[in-house]
Amino acid sequence: MRYESDKQPSRFGPPGYAPRVIDQGSVWIMVAAPTLWALHFVASYVVAAVWCARIGPSLTEPRWIIAGMAVVCVALIVWLATQAVRRYGGVFVIFEEITESSERGRDKFIGHVSLLLCILSGVAIAFTVIPGFVFGSC
Amino acid sequence: MRNLTLLTVPLLAGCAGRHNWLSSAGAEADRVEGLFWVLLIGAAVIWSAVIGAAVYAQRRQVDPGLEHQARWFIVWGGAVIPTVLVCALLIWGLVILRDITPDKGDLTVRVDGERWWWRVTYDGPDGDVVTANEIRLPLDQTALFRLTSDDVIHSFWVPAIGGKMDMIPGRETTLALTPNKTGNWGGLCAEYCGGAHALMRFDTVVMEPDAFDAWLAAEAAPARVAPDDPGFAVFRDEGCGACHTIRGTDARGPVGPDLTHVGARARLGAGIYAMTADNMARWITDTHAMKPDADMPPYPDLSGARLEALVTFLLSLDHAE
Repeated sequence: MRYESDKQPSRFGPPGYAPRVIDQGSVWIMVAAPTLWALHFVASYVVAAVWCARIGPSLTEPRWIIAGMAVVCVALIVWLATQAVRRYGGVFVIFEEITESSERGRDKFIGHVSLLLCILSGVAIAFTVIPGFVFGSC
Repeated sequence: MRNLTLLTVPLLAGCAGRHNWLSSAGAEADRVEGLFWVLLIGAAVIWSAVIGAAVYAQRRQVDPGLEHQARWFIVWGGAVIPTVLVCALLIWGLVILRDITPDKGDLTVRVDGERWWWRVTYDGPDGDVVTANEIRLPLDQTALFRLTSDDVIHSFWVPAIGGKMDMIPGRETTLALTPNKTGNWGGLCAEYCGGAHALMRFDTVVMEPDAFDAWLAAEAAPARVAPDDPGFAVFRDEGCGACHTIRGTDARGPVGPDLTHVGARARLGAGIYAMTADNMARWITDTHAMKPDADMPPYPDLSGARLEALVTFLLSLDHAE
């Protein structure tokens, strides 16, 4: 199997070259998905709190706002997961230990961790949305 | 073995009695108890399976041919199944929480948490019925509790019947209780609220609906106080009416518990002492020895005939026959 990270150079290029934030060689992909979850979590609290304090007492409308934000965040997380697979060579289940001290080995590890964090963040966002659909009022 | 038996005695003692949520004297407690048993048995099964798998793996020769299946076993057993189970438990718990916090009930009781007692107000057929530190409920009817607090966060809990729910200053929280066994069940504050937190208790008396209606009507009636009652004269002279209300008299103090029918309650001091003349006399003269930090000031100078008259008067504030 050929990985994007097999291409050289990946991180350093000619003068003026600026690597993308989410690309092989960069670690930011690992925190991106949990950050989306955190943003969704905070935004959900703000939406529910403002709605209940100013408009309330029904949660019918804010639950759909929270669900809409969840759809956007999950879509971004799915995109991140595809990047983790395509750009980093991440796989869900590792059948062979990553012992190689190389850029490719590190990318593969980052891709694997990112993929797991994407799944975890998606589940966490679902857990944030569920209470809004169980409770009908503030 | 004998020592182990001795150790379990106090633990088992906690499983009986009026504060035990496994006594299941209410529909809401039944729901929580069901969840508890599923969690307990489910956790025991999962724990046994995990430990069993670990022991099996320790004793077995490593077989590289099974590495692939082992990885998938970890993925399913360690990630997929726990996620599904936690999600199911989350939804189940949320549905229980939704059901025990409804908007409507067969009757409404407002409870205000004070340091360290309970102001209780029933929505009676002829208006508010104010009492304190004792809650009576009709059997098999859903009482909707509207819970508030004026000072710090308290938590309203009648373990045997259901609950619990925080009482938050500036907010109103709701809780439903549907008792399904008659009896006297203990209630308490479940959120540390200061010095006498552990002494902030109340009785919850579950009655047949007819008996409850009769009790509520009696509780709604004003007190029967003779104008020349010597105990009431002491009550007035000492300024007790500045803090306490006795409906039917000019005592309208809103600070302390309503005393209109204090003699009809089983306990004093917010569910902690039997309602006896000795306890009442001590409560008046040495309040803080019985309940440290209570807002009520003690009246150590009251003694003899005046104290006796006051105690007799307070205990006479019973329901009309």
